[in-house]
Amino acid sequence: MKHYKLAIKFYKEKGPRHDKNLWNIRQKRDKAIKEIDKWEQLRTKASEIKEYVIEHLEELIEEFTKNAKKQGIEVYYAKTKQEHNEIILKLLKEKKAKKVVKSKSMLTEECDLNEFLKENKIEVIDTDLGERIVQLRGEKPSHIVLPAIHTTKEEVAKILNETNSDPTYLTHKMRKLLREEFLTSKAAITGANFLIADKGFAVVCTNEGNADLGVTLNKLHIISVGIDKLLPSIKDLGIFLRMLARNATGQKITTYTTIFGKPTNQKRVIILVDNGRIKRKKSEFKETLKCIRCSACLTTCPVFRRSGGHAYRYIIPGPIGSLLAPLVDKEEYKDLPFACTLCGSCEMVCPVKIPFSKQLINMRKYVTKNKIMKIAEKSIHSDKTFKLFSLILRLTPKPLLQKAFKEWSKYKKLPNIPQKRFISL
Amino acid sequence: MKIALHVPCYINELNPQIAKKTLLILRHFKLNVKVPINQTCCGQPFINSGIPTTLPLKFNEIFKNYDYIVSPSSSCVSIIRNQNLEVSNKTYELCEFLHDILKVKDIAKNYQKKIALHNSCHSLRHLLEGAPSELNIPYFNKIKKVLGGNIIEATRDECCGFGGIFSLKEGFISYVMGRNKLDDLLEKKPDVITGVDYSCLMHLDSIAKKDGDKIEIKHISEIIWECLNETL
Repeated sequence: MKHYKLAIKFYKEKGPRHDKNLWNIRQKRDKAIKEIDKWEQLRTKASEIKEYVIEHLEELIEEFTKNAKKQGIEVYYAKTKQEHNEIILKLLKEKKAKKVVKSKSMLTEECDLNEFLKENKIEVIDTDLGERIVQLRGEKPSHIVLPAIHTTKEEVAKILNETNSDPTYLTHKMRKLLREEFLTSKAAITGANFLIADKGFAVVCTNEGNADLGVTLNKLHIISVGIDKLLPSIKDLGIFLRMLARNATGQKITTYTTIFGKPTNQKRVIILVDNGRIKRKKSEFKETLKCIRCSACLTTCPVFRRSGGHAYRYIIPGPIGSLLAPLVDKEEYKDLPFACTLCGSCEMVCPVKIPFSKQLINMRKYVTKNKIMKIAEKSIHSDKTFKLFSLILRLTPKPLLQKAFKEWSKYKKLPNIPQKRFISL
Repeated sequence: MKIALHVPCYINELNPQIAKKTLLILRHFKLNVKVPINQTCCGQPFINSGIPTTLPLKFNEIFKNYDYIVSPSSSCVSIIRNQNLEVSNKTYELCEFLHDILKVKDIAKNYQKKIALHNSCHSLRHLLEGAPSELNIPYFNKIKKVLGGNIIEATRDECCGFGGIFSLKEGFISYVMGRNKLDDLLEKKPDVITGVDYSCLMHLDSIAKKDGDKIEIKHISEIIWECLNETL
C-alpha cells in the first residue's frame, strides 16, 4: 500500500494526537535551541565538519580502525548487511550466546538483524523502552528516536496483559521484565552515535541507561555502526553533543553519554558498516551522509506528523527516509519523495544543513518517468501552445475536470475558471 | 528603473485580477512597468514533479534586460532565485520588492477589516520574508511591515498542505493540513485571510467553500490595491 492510503488509515485512527504530541516536541526543541545564542553558527560548523568527513571518509575509516585496535578493540568492516549479520552470528556462536540484549540501533534495523538472528535461533531482546514495545507488538519503529510514538498507553497495557494503563506503572513493569533479560543474556549489541577517528572511541547517547547496563553485564560488547557516524577528532564531539539532544527532544544533553574505548574484562567489537554508503558518497545524494539521525526532520514534518512513520514503510521514515529508501528500492518507494509539500521545515531544523528541498527534488527526478509531463514541458515553451492548453482547460466540462483532478475534488471544491486571462493575446 | 511584471501562469489562468492589481500597485509608485507577453511558465510544476526542464532559461531570456522582475508569487520567485541565472537575484516577490526596494510600509494600517496573514512556506522558509520558528534568529516579517497595523498570524507557522503536486497525490493529508491551518487562523476571528501565494489561498478557499466556512480569502495584492486606491 502506498503512503497516501496508509496515511488516511493512520490519521483517521490516531492522527490528531500524534500530530499534537510531535508538535509539542518540536516546540521543546525550539525552546532548547534558542538557549544557545550561536545555534545557527553551530549548525554551519557541524555542517562543515560533516562535509569534511564525507570527503575524507576512507582515510578516517583507516585512522579510526588503527586507533581502535590500539586500544584492544576488535574492528571489522562489513561491506553489506549480510556481511554485518554473518559477523555478528559468528561472534555470538563463539560465545555460545543464545540470548542477546540490544539497545536502540537504527543500523541493526537497516540490516534486519533481529530477523536474521531469530532464524539462527538466537533471541534478541530490544531493551530500549519504546523499541521493546514495538518488538512485543511485532512492529518496526515508526520514528527513529521515539520508536513507539504511534502507540497509546492502553495499547502498551494490552501487550503487557495489564488493565492499569498508568505510564509510570507500566514503565516499572517493563523495567522488571527487562531486568530478567539483562541478567540472562550472554552478549550486548549497541549502536553508536559518533565514532572518534583520532582516538578510536565510540560514543553512545541514551536516556534509559539500557545500553550501559547491557554492556556492563556482558562479556561481549558488539557495536554496530555506519561509517557515516565518523567524526575526525574528539574536539568535534562537543559541538555534536550540544546539538543532538536539543534538536531531537529538547533536552540539553541525553541522560547518559558514554564514550567506549579500551575494554576491561570483556571483549569489545566494532563493526563498521558500509551497506551502500561508499556508493552513496559518489552519487548526487552524498549529502544524506551528513545525517546524525537526530530525528528533528521527522518530528517537524507536517506530513509525517499526520501520516505516522509506518506509512513510509521503510525503517527510516520522514524526510530523511524519503531520501534513503528509494536508493534501496526505487520501485517500492517511488511515492515517498512526493509525500512532501517541499515546505522546507526539515531543512531549517537540520543540524548539519542537509539541503532537503534540493535533494527531495533530485529524488523526485530519480524516481520519475512521466512521459506526459515531459511532452507538456516541451510544448509550454511557446506562449501559443500555452494558450491552446488554456483553451482546452476552459472548454473541458466541470465533471471531466473533477475526474482529472480526483484527489483534489474528493476533499475540496475545484476553483472557478474565469473566462478571460490577463495576458491573453 | 525598468521593471517587468512576471505573471505566474496559474494566476493568469485562475485569477487574472491578481496580475492586474499587482500592475496597478507598481504603476501607483510611478514605475515604468512592462508586461512581456511571450512569458509562459517559470518551470516550477516540472521541477517539483521531477521533470527536467529548461523553462527557467527561457524565463531568463525574456526578463534579463530588466532591472527588476516583480512577481505576485513567492514560489515562482524562489524557483528562479535557486537557479544560477542573470535574473536570479533581481526577481522579487511583490511584498519583498515593496519592502526591500521601494521601502514602503504601513500601507494597510487603517484597513477596516481584521487581516490574518498566511505565511506561505516559499515566502517564509525559502525567501526568508520572515523569521521561521525553526531558526534561532530575531523575529521579523517583511509582509507585516508592508501592511502595518494589527495583523494576525497562525499559531503554528507550518505548511497549509497545498504543495502543488502534493495536493494531487495526497488529497486527504493535503485537506487535513489545510483544515488545520484554517482552524488555526479562524480561531483568532479575522475578517479576511490573505497571503502572498495565491496557490495556498486557492487551496484554503476550496476547503472553506466545501466545508462551509464563511471567510473571505484574497490575495495580498487586492488588499494593497484597495488601500492605495482609497488614499488617491
